[in-house]
Amino acid sequence: MSGSPHAPQRRELVVEMSGLNKWYGQHHVLRDVSLGLASGEKIVLCGPSGSGKSTLIRCINGLEVFHEGNLIVCNIRLDGSQESLAQVRRKAGMVFQNFNLFPHLTVLENLTLGAIYARNEPEDGAIARAHGLLARVQLSSQTWKFPGQLSGGQRQRVAIARALMLEPEVMLFDEPTSALDPEMVHEVLDVMEELAVSGQSMIVVTHEMGFARSVADLVVFMDQGEIVEAAPPESFFENPATARAKAFIGQISHAT
Amino acid sequence: MSTAPRSFARPASSPPRLPPADVRGVRAFLYTHLFQSPLAGVFTFLLGAVVILALWHIARWSVVDAVWYAPDNSAACRTATGACWAVVAEKYRVILFGAYPYDEQWRGGLIIAIWLAWGAASATSLLAVGTRLAGWALVFIATILLLKGGIPGLAPVGTDLWGGLPLTFIIFGGTIAGGLPLAILLAIGRRSELKVVRFLCVATIEGVRGIPLLALLFFAALILPLFLPPQLTVDKLIRAEIGMIVFFAAYAAEVVRGGLQAMPEGQDEAAKALGLGYWLRMRKIILPQALAIVVPALFNDIIRAFKNTTFFSILGLFDVLGATKAALQDPNWVRYGTEGYLFVFLLYFIICSAMSLYGASIERDTQRRVRRAN
Repeated sequence: MSGSPHAPQRRELVVEMSGLNKWYGQHHVLRDVSLGLASGEKIVLCGPSGSGKSTLIRCINGLEVFHEGNLIVCNIRLDGSQESLAQVRRKAGMVFQNFNLFPHLTVLENLTLGAIYARNEPEDGAIARAHGLLARVQLSSQTWKFPGQLSGGQRQRVAIARALMLEPEVMLFDEPTSALDPEMVHEVLDVMEELAVSGQSMIVVTHEMGFARSVADLVVFMDQGEIVEAAPPESFFENPATARAKAFIGQISHAT
Repeated sequence: MSTAPRSFARPASSPPRLPPADVRGVRAFLYTHLFQSPLAGVFTFLLGAVVILALWHIARWSVVDAVWYAPDNSAACRTATGACWAVVAEKYRVILFGAYPYDEQWRGGLIIAIWLAWGAASATSLLAVGTRLAGWALVFIATILLLKGGIPGLAPVGTDLWGGLPLTFIIFGGTIAGGLPLAILLAIGRRSELKVVRFLCVATIEGVRGIPLLALLFFAALILPLFLPPQLTVDKLIRAEIGMIVFFAAYAAEVVRGGLQAMPEGQDEAAKALGLGYWLRMRKIILPQALAIVVPALFNDIIRAFKNTTFFSILGLFDVLGATKAALQDPNWVRYGTEGYLFVFLLYFIICSAMSLYGASIERDTQRRVRRAN
């Protein structure tokens, strides 16, 4: 990639993958996936369940291994080495469908754990940053509670703040609102939109098409492990090029 | 117009109130638990009579007709119809301290006091778990120093003279202090991706679980020295202790593994995503939760380990039970073994019950904090 890490350019790619292939046993789950995320831009990944979008996003921070192809995240090539994994994970924040907060730690400890132990930050600095981020997701009042005492929407906002503690160059969201009760979806989407507006690079796997419309620079539609269509939201939703995307959009809009 | 549905629901507004009197209170309890039908009433009276009769007989034997003090070699006991507790008054120093030198037995007394004091202090949830564990480590070190001596002010005492409750405590403490970390390592190793590590752990766990504790202790204490070169003599107590540790670890490892397997995959993934390495993830995320899950089962093994210390009497080491047996060899008191062993039974019962309560308090503690997110 052009563009040195010292002088980040507007169009620098934070995630770049080409010819990515992955199998579960015989099953070919990612088929020749090529995709690039430019710094500051947002990609929304959508597609029917089993289309490989979660697998794809989990490859980006090495929670899944891939078998063929190239993947460069934040100028680090994921070559299967522990070293590259550790470096990438320090630069890519991840938010999960099921929150995966640490139930035995307070909200504050959930945030500071990675900073103190993985980034070796001094404790008071980490705590100060954590307070700042909790204020940003409007959860300052919950600082000392345990995850089990929070609502689903609050938990997911804590999870977002926890990922932001890494000061990530890219944020990965794996269906962040799918496990939420309907009345809580908005508080999470609001935080994500605020994040998007602030210029955070993001890849979001979601079925929230309203969010995709307002935030995405590029909507990528996957089906059966391959990228079927990629287009800016207005043309993707108004004028899908493929029959599969058309059918998917039809089903989604019926559901909502 | 379509026909109205015959199903219905009627909106109501009624302030919350207490349940009616016949589902709460003493009368409701008596009715539902003891006198629900005439037959149940008959059984209540019959069983009640049996229980009261039994309690009366026990009380008469153990308190009313009992002899508490028999200074001249159990003479007072011979005419009594009740229990002869004088045997305990006469022999308690042997029972509690075994063959430990008489003039140094205050050290054993001090050890027992320390254990009881810290046991009581750490049973309250005022102290953090870390503080409690650090305290136990200190208690354990103090126990060894006091028993062994050899530091200024304390004469050295060989392990062959150790005995009684301090010996029981030190065997037990060593078993837990050595066995629990080993159990955790075995459990982690059994889930390792490295085949050799996994095989070694499985072989250790299954191998040890296939041997009776008694055989293992005999092997460690009596047979192993025959195969070792004479220069390499390890104290019998330590050899047997290693046997205890391995035995405890093999069982506890499977308990810990159960906890590890109960952990949702997402916890490890979330910790990975934060960039934490393997041992940090284990130490900070996986083990604290996995161990909290298995506290009840783990205390099962811990209490069993306490009772397993009695096996040491077979190796010629005088733990509480062995010391009691030795004390009751005295021809003047040999007839009052029942009372002597009842005293030991009571001792074990109190200590083991205290440990159960301790386990339950830890459980409540973690449960209050670890409410599963999701």
